[in-house]
Amino acid sequence: MKEVILDCFGEACPVPLVKAEKAISTLEIGDVLIVQIDHSCAMKNVPEWARAQGYNVEIEEVNDGEWEVFIEKNK
Amino acid sequence: MSVKPFDNLKNNKYYKMWFKDAFPYITGAVLLSVFQIFTLASTGNPWGVSGPLANWGAWIYEAFGGSVDKWYYFSSEGARATLENGFLNDGGSIRNIGIIAGALLATLMASQFKIKKIKNKKQVAAAILGGLLMGYGARIGFGCNIGALYSGIASFSLSGWVYAAFLFIGAYFGSRLLVKFFM
Repeated sequence: MKEVILDCFGEACPVPLVKAEKAISTLEIGDVLIVQIDHSCAMKNVPEWARAQGYNVEIEEVNDGEWEVFIEKNK
Repeated sequence: MSVKPFDNLKNNKYYKMWFKDAFPYITGAVLLSVFQIFTLASTGNPWGVSGPLANWGAWIYEAFGGSVDKWYYFSSEGARATLENGFLNDGGSIRNIGIIAGALLATLMASQFKIKKIKNKKQVAAAILGGLLMGYGARIGFGCNIGALYSGIASFSLSGWVYAAFLFIGAYFGSRLLVKFFM
């Protein structure tokens, strides 16, 4: 059960999505990936992809135009 | 320094629906269609974005003492008249300013404005190269994804569909390059 932070601040779509896909494949079941983004379109496609994979997803707006997407690799 | 009225506004259902959360794709599509019909009906021309940007380039070039009189692209009577009439009389230019101002207003209303950092030199190179290719392609293809694709398809023009097919091919190779150089 570890938490991994993926810093995608300043990265435009679709870089955060591809990085998140790559990062989650290295994690084990039960681990949580926290994707930090500041590109509003990544705020849509990263959670959409994660939910389609069946992962638990939570989004937190940490600052103006900055979000953290919590993805739990639950399967 | 907590300001009470804004704290309440943040959680207001209608504020969230109208300003904070992104509109569903369907809502966006319907709004875009309505506005582009309005554009066609009121100006007689389909909606375009990158055409006026070429005029901006010409005006900037002229402001620095250059001349585009002999350029084939600006040689038509219509293009010449647009350049001579100036920025404020070019509806497309005003509409583009509207897009920029509207986008800024939307981020400010959602309280999501942020000046993003440039992470590395690769981003700069990719942005410049991408911008040049898109600008060049849009002019040589007589339109961008708005003028040639969106307005093309809306005008029942086959060229819009051809554009769409090649857009997917371009996007495929573009994403391969992206993964290769940015991951």
